[in-house]
Amino acid sequence: MPDPAVPPRPESSAGQATGDAAVLVENLERTYKGGLKAVDGVNLIVEPGEIYGFLGPNGAGKSTTVRILTTLLRPTGGRALVAGYDVVRQAPEVRRNIGVALQEAALDPLMTGRELLQLQGALHGLRREEARERAAELLERVDLVEAGDRRLQTYSGGMTRRLDLAMALVHRPAVLFLDEPTTGLDPVSRNALWREVRSLNDDGTTVFLTTQYLEEAEQLADRVGIIDRGHIVAEGTPDELKRLVGNPALMVKLIDPAQHDEACRVLAPHGEVSDRSGGGLNVRTPLGARAIAPIVRSLDEARVEVDAVELEEVSLDDVFLAVTGHPAESDEDVRDAQP
Amino acid sequence: MTDVVLEHRAVTQWRVTLALAGRALRIQLRRVQFLLPSFVLPLLLLVVIASGTSAAQELPGFPVQSSYVGFVVSGTIIQGALLVGLMAGIAVADEIEGGFFDRLLSAPINRASIVAGRVLGTMGIGVFQAVLFLLVALAFGADFTGGLPGALAVVALAAICAGAAAALGASIALKTGSLSLLQNLFPIVFVLLFTAPAFLPHDYLNPALQAISDYNPLTYVVEGMRGALFDSPGLGSVPLGFLSAAALLVAMFALAVWAMRARVKT
Repeated sequence: MPDPAVPPRPESSAGQATGDAAVLVENLERTYKGGLKAVDGVNLIVEPGEIYGFLGPNGAGKSTTVRILTTLLRPTGGRALVAGYDVVRQAPEVRRNIGVALQEAALDPLMTGRELLQLQGALHGLRREEARERAAELLERVDLVEAGDRRLQTYSGGMTRRLDLAMALVHRPAVLFLDEPTTGLDPVSRNALWREVRSLNDDGTTVFLTTQYLEEAEQLADRVGIIDRGHIVAEGTPDELKRLVGNPALMVKLIDPAQHDEACRVLAPHGEVSDRSGGGLNVRTPLGARAIAPIVRSLDEARVEVDAVELEEVSLDDVFLAVTGHPAESDEDVRDAQP
Repeated sequence: MTDVVLEHRAVTQWRVTLALAGRALRIQLRRVQFLLPSFVLPLLLLVVIASGTSAAQELPGFPVQSSYVGFVVSGTIIQGALLVGLMAGIAVADEIEGGFFDRLLSAPINRASIVAGRVLGTMGIGVFQAVLFLLVALAFGADFTGGLPGALAVVALAAICAGAAAALGASIALKTGSLSLLQNLFPIVFVLLFTAPAFLPHDYLNPALQAISDYNPLTYVVEGMRGALFDSPGLGSVPLGFLSAAALLVAMFALAVWAMRARVKT
């Protein structure tokens, strides 16, 4: 039964119901005091049940956008609807429908995992007994039952992140915002968190994920938006974005640099050959990893001694360079700074 | 909106406020290194006064002849209440800097509950502190003719003052977000104390301090405490003490809520 206190979902400026999109952002802007424009006309739509990857380097405007979508910051222009509710005019309804795990898992180190989950339950209107049951359920889900009654100061980074995720799930949100959830985690913890995010998505939760890592977006996201200097500069599936870079590159390291010219001759039929700045050669080929075996065979037959042949993963830096014409490293970290 | 919905919301907000108050109390007690100065400094002052300066009660016309410690413990209690309030502000600034505050802001609660929870939790510490200080004063020979009712009134006044100080600390934290600024505000506590008749009767202050103390709301709280402890309206009016403390709490709470709104808007 609908909550009579919750206002009806709004209509778009065109008069159409906008309740279908999990997140709808139109010409969103945020200018800080002093004129710094951190978000400059962002438009995006996230469909229900989707994992949307929001990529960008430090200072691109990711965190500011997330802070607006989670009602922690007001936009200075445009509008945004989350779960069908306006983030400015219907902020309490938005908060009821979202789960938020912000950057660096800001949790109180003096509280235990269980206390934090129970507090989160209380903040979302659960009665004491309900909050207790939900906390136990979530501790089990994120594999923290044994650590549940320990203070957070004794948790590892991975455990803290898992608890942070569990806290965002206490009230079974429709849309989950994860702001750089795996930054600083070791590969094992990162994989565990990825599994949990996939499992949540399988249960129907829409996930809005910000990250600096294309690999993370590739592992998790159905679609990806790349933000640079407050604008969305590219959007698509991870594969579509990678294709913007061109053919994947195979890196060939030679044992004897004197065989450079011979190696170039042998590799030319396999793809576009170029010198690498740190030594060795790059071969760009549409076959990607499938070209490794024929390349090694050709070099062997020509008696060119090879130290290594590796497929170079396309990184966010590569995609960035391809779509913006400048490297991802930004010296404008202040864009994501707090006001 | 129906009455049932309004009632449901009120119950939920009250539950949220209590949960936040419980957390504030628990965490403050766990941050012993921060809480300790607000207990140790006033107690040290009380002990020094008890052992070294009790001759003040021999001064002609001193209003409490039975025990200088009993007279001065009201000032000690106010000092402790101001310090725990400042600690509450430091805790809020710490939560803002560490990001935990954002988690509270992203919950579907009335944001005034966040301040109210902090204020209530600090009032709990104020109760504990006032009881402890009264017991120490008794151990040092204080004799309170107001008995248990007087002591209870003092504990209530201390709790209200601690709440007001917590709201003030929270306002500064919310407005500035600066942990270091709050850590440097300790001297203000002493300015507030010495511009109120915390350790000497009003008539013993020099004329300039007397004039200032007339405008310091803590004057009426500390005198109200003495009136309650010694069951003597001549030492101070208990109702006026409560009125002054309550006005402080309401004003500081309103200031904190305003600071919260201003912070969220920016």
